[in-house]
Amino acid sequence: MTASVTIAAKPDLAGKRLAFALAEDRVGHYPEFRAFFAKSFDLDRIGLAEPGFVTAPSGLAYAFVFIGRSGEPFPAGVEIYAVVDALEPVEETTLDADLWAVLGWMIDGVGAPWTRDDLEATGRLYRIPAAAKAAGG
Amino acid sequence: MNQAQSVLPEAARAAWPYAPRFARVNGWRMHYIDEGAGDPVLLLHGNPTWGYIYREFVGPIVASGRRVIVPDMIGFGLSEKPTREQAHSLDGHAANLTALVRRLDLRRITLVVHDWGGPTGLSFALANPERVRALVIMSTWAWPTPAEFHTRIFPWRMSHAPLVGPYIFGKYNGLTGRGMYLSVVDRERYRERAQAVYEATLPDPATRLLTWAWPRWIPLDAEARAHDRFVWLERELAKAQWPATIIWGREDDVFDHATFADRFKRLLPQAEGPHLVTGRHFLQEDSGPEIASLIVDFVDGLDRKGA
Repeated sequence: MTASVTIAAKPDLAGKRLAFALAEDRVGHYPEFRAFFAKSFDLDRIGLAEPGFVTAPSGLAYAFVFIGRSGEPFPAGVEIYAVVDALEPVEETTLDADLWAVLGWMIDGVGAPWTRDDLEATGRLYRIPAAAKAAGG
Repeated sequence: MNQAQSVLPEAARAAWPYAPRFARVNGWRMHYIDEGAGDPVLLLHGNPTWGYIYREFVGPIVASGRRVIVPDMIGFGLSEKPTREQAHSLDGHAANLTALVRRLDLRRITLVVHDWGGPTGLSFALANPERVRALVIMSTWAWPTPAEFHTRIFPWRMSHAPLVGPYIFGKYNGLTGRGMYLSVVDRERYRERAQAVYEATLPDPATRLLTWAWPRWIPLDAEARAHDRFVWLERELAKAQWPATIIWGREDDVFDHATFADRFKRLLPQAEGPHLVTGRHFLQEDSGPEIASLIVDFVDGLDRKGA
């Protein structure tokens, strides 16, 4: 297990599939979130040419597929996929914990006034399993 | 067993015995119920509920000699649930309602609004004033200034932030489950009688999209998408002469009555109330029969006055 979420090079996708995990139609609802992704994945240069990749705490790689929409700043949306063995089902608990870690990484990157403390408190309020686990619950 | 009953937990079916009806509205399939006869009372729910929140209203209002129509907003209840956020807009939802009202040719409507049923229903009313007889206003708003709660990052803005909304409200149905549970007074009764019913109509993450899309339509500043619509709502509502009554939850800590009910009273000085009942934001869950009785008394009063 790696300790955190880190941006990674494109993994070898031979024998793998991209398993849908989470989608956001409106990544710029708060523009600082769009700016975070644009900066983190160098999207002003790369555009739609390649997905971005991260490695999550489980060791799995995740692809960030960015979506453009005419008339809106890029990216307009994003889809997150787990890179998994082609014919194997995803392990839901692992994926869930990884996504929670990705959200924490994103909030850290977006920065003030958004804080990981507020994310974790929100997760605990809504009884999100990965948030409870992260808090030792 | 009808379609509504097939999705309800068995224990809840007796509370919602109404025949499901469907209409094409503005390009979508809308579910509604239509019970009784007489001047229509149109009951509008908000996020993340559906007509079921008015289960204790339908019987008493029908028994008082009125027709009761309860639509499920597109995206909730038994209505069609678009899977793209761009399918939803405040104006679009008002147009959905307008299409239903025109299809049923409803006139002399007493319009009962709650939560997002407020901005959508009041937009409909102000654009179609000849169809409206009176307003009943509960725990909502109609101006561009947000509630203080809606400006806070914890827990509100964080809960529907990019990717966080699809995770907390989508994967975990956070608003329908925990969110509503925290927004009623009698939480145990809510858990026993209602929570599973609301959750049952939003069974999968994709069906819950509107639970995080609606919060993003609350204007927080002058650049927000719906800001101008809310400016129009406030300006035009101040000119409205409809009889009105204001009913609010005494314990409402989202739209607190001291701020919100009083602001409606200033906007509609002819309104009765505010009548304070036991309830947080989802006051229908705590005080359904009492609110239904207030509505029947209000409409009886309109009849006596020949309004």
